[in-house]
Amino acid sequence: MAIINPLSAKKVKGGTVENPPSPLLIFAGLVTLSLAALPIAYLVRRATQIDAQSLSIVLFRAKTLEIIFTTLSLALFVALFATALGVGIAWMLNNVALPFLGLIRALVVLPVAIPSYVFTYSWLSLGFLPSGFIAAVVVLTLSTAPYVTLAALAAFKRIDTSQLDVAQTLGLNQFGTFLRVTLPQIRNAVGAGSLIVALYVLSDFGAVSLLGVDTFTRAIQNTYQGSFDRGSAAILALFLVAISSTVISLEIKSRESTVTVKSSVQITKRLPYNNSIRVKLVAAIAIIAYLALALVAPLSVLLYRFFSRVSPLDVTELVNAAFSTITVSILGALIAMLLAIPVAFLAVRGTWIGVWSERAVLLVHALPGIVMGLALVSFGSEFPVIYQTIGLLAFAYSILFLARSVGSIRAAFGKVPLSLTEIAATLGQTRSRTFYRVTLPLAAPGVLTGTLLVFLSAMKELPATLMLRPTGFETLATEIWNNTAIFRFSEAAPYALLLVAIAAIPTFLISRPDRESERGELQ
Amino acid sequence: MTSLEIRELGVHLGNREVLHDLNLTIPSGSFAAILGPSGCGKTTLLRTIAGLVRPSAGAIRFGKQLVSVSSLVLPPHKRNIGYLPQESGLFPHLSVGENVGFAFKKEVKAEQRREIIDEMLELVGLTGFADRKPHQLSGGQQTRVALARALAIRPAIVLLDEPFSNLDHALRAEVSGEVVSLLKKTKTTSLMVTHDREDALVSADLIALMRDGRVVQSGTPESVYMAPASADIAESTGDILELPAQRLLKNRKKLISPLHLSAKKASGDAETGSILIRPEEIRVYEKKSNLPTAKITQIHYYGHDAILELALPGFSKEVKVRVTGPLNFEVGKTVALEHVGPIRWVTKKPTDE
Repeated sequence: MAIINPLSAKKVKGGTVENPPSPLLIFAGLVTLSLAALPIAYLVRRATQIDAQSLSIVLFRAKTLEIIFTTLSLALFVALFATALGVGIAWMLNNVALPFLGLIRALVVLPVAIPSYVFTYSWLSLGFLPSGFIAAVVVLTLSTAPYVTLAALAAFKRIDTSQLDVAQTLGLNQFGTFLRVTLPQIRNAVGAGSLIVALYVLSDFGAVSLLGVDTFTRAIQNTYQGSFDRGSAAILALFLVAISSTVISLEIKSRESTVTVKSSVQITKRLPYNNSIRVKLVAAIAIIAYLALALVAPLSVLLYRFFSRVSPLDVTELVNAAFSTITVSILGALIAMLLAIPVAFLAVRGTWIGVWSERAVLLVHALPGIVMGLALVSFGSEFPVIYQTIGLLAFAYSILFLARSVGSIRAAFGKVPLSLTEIAATLGQTRSRTFYRVTLPLAAPGVLTGTLLVFLSAMKELPATLMLRPTGFETLATEIWNNTAIFRFSEAAPYALLLVAIAAIPTFLISRPDRESERGELQ
Repeated sequence: MTSLEIRELGVHLGNREVLHDLNLTIPSGSFAAILGPSGCGKTTLLRTIAGLVRPSAGAIRFGKQLVSVSSLVLPPHKRNIGYLPQESGLFPHLSVGENVGFAFKKEVKAEQRREIIDEMLELVGLTGFADRKPHQLSGGQQTRVALARALAIRPAIVLLDEPFSNLDHALRAEVSGEVVSLLKKTKTTSLMVTHDREDALVSADLIALMRDGRVVQSGTPESVYMAPASADIAESTGDILELPAQRLLKNRKKLISPLHLSAKKASGDAETGSILIRPEEIRVYEKKSNLPTAKITQIHYYGHDAILELALPGFSKEVKVRVTGPLNFEVGKTVALEHVGPIRWVTKKPTDE
């Protein structure tokens, strides 16, 4: 999040003592930059190795056009519905005095902890629900709405409530106030949330594969697995990257143009409105319905399947898979943290290397997991030492989700007032001592949040894990996938339940309201 | 104890020249105030002295030590400066004691640390606060901890950047009084930046008035108030009336103006210019013959005194006069005026605005 500290902003002008970042820091930034650029470089290289004839076959067959159409319309529909749903829920949480508000808040975010393939699995395992495009729209809308809810809630919080009071004294009713005062101010933040949803849909692999919707990710997987034709797969992947990077650049743009004007006075804590009983009832029913569909239903299906399975529970395998998931995800999160800190610090300071690394990181954020998998398979096949190692998988996670880490850490660094580092300087501290004694401790919660975000995402990641894991290395995600793909729903249930249970912990920690400003915008 | 000497200092921020040919000398152990409107470059000056801004020209000396000559600068962490920024700038993740002891080198033993911290906290009247966190303190206490932290390094010079501006009015006088008297008592060379004339006049031994990136006048509070270099400069220390006037060449104490003699009564050659009058330098009588009269247009009542705004025949702007004591004036009444202060003659013709 491009938070500029109001205290420091006015002081950051040219002419402040030029503080060239230390060579070590620049080196670290360059390392991150080149590592982030690596997957795309390999993808391009692989794609250019394809001969002209196969290229024209990939490009001009009718199937490709159909894939583009399906992918784009799926992203569009899900983004639209998730935005409507997410803003609605956020508005109710913000404006309606519901009982157990804190609990409800924590619950509506929880669907994020259910990976789309688990959601789809519970959908399919009911046996009577259809597959196909509409099913994908429903499943993905329900599981991505929280991204918009979080963005909208944060945006609502930023609006100075005295503006709403003034609007009402100027003769607007609540609806008019929402339309003319609230909406213009949350539009960009919500827009950014919708684009994140679109990005999620573009990179989703699990749900579309299980529901048989032919989007890019599924086509890439089929091309890669069916013929081991990595060239054609790379061409398709670059197509997808082009679409995703368009979305991400729109997202950055809408995020940067978010302007909220606050009056100079401290914002008064808003008491919930005196809602009529009817409004309360409608809100309660709406939220209960959402939770029932997006949370209770999939979890009950999982539980039902768990208890109705015939084969005995293989505890060793379950524990092994959980251990693998946690180990490799933590490793990925730690690598991401180490790579993100120099970039975030350099970016806050406005140095060119920081700015460029940050852009590269955001571009890489547009890489769907399957594309990352493909790129690193190409890379790994040239360096057999690292191919099919846990290290390469963890590295894939760290690069895939680096933007989340950088976003949070950068926001945290940005909030450390420049005046504090200056005081440390006048108190005899060198720049590196100031960094360790002042900047880092103050930014620690944001660094933790960013690292948790990567951990959570890595844990749920499926396509890259499928492609890059060492032979015989099973995580919770791959176990769920393996069993679901051959319709062994009951066997998948324990893994799915455990994955959701573990994922719920970081989800809960991150989505706590007091973490709002640390999360950055990229969920 | 160190004196501060600044010679021909120039600072560019971006493309803008913020400080230009600035000269200032502060004797060792004195408390100086820089007074100027916002945007005149006073904060930049303070930050340049601290080493946080790199100058483009000039030299800064702490005592005999040259800390900055043209663009060669000593980094801030080697300057031994005590810095109090606008927001007390306490490190929120550290306790009060850790804040005060922030600058300790590794060699300093725990006992000794504790001793110095206690001594500093006692100095600012916060004994026993060492384990509190900054957010548990009131605004005034935070400012005092910031002072203790600055003094703990035994600074050569203490720099204060509007340190009391975020305190509420009542607290402000109290805390600023304590801080200033402490700095004076310890004979610490101090430089405070402020846009509040009263803050500056009350506390400083030496006032430097800044305009457009340079020091335009400096001296004791009384000298800059009583003998301003120009009408413009006079405004920065208080209200001033710039009254067009003529003075007789043969007797320069004889003035012709709407407030003095009328032209008819004076004879002889005269030069044209204006005089500068403070509001308290005009006496108001309910009735007195031989004095010019004016009509009261507005009364600003402050309790301890009041400012009358008067319409003086023959002068287009309003005349402000300070009166004390019981107020028996009302708007619309005509009163007699007498100029009783020193004659500050400005030869330059007043500019018509």
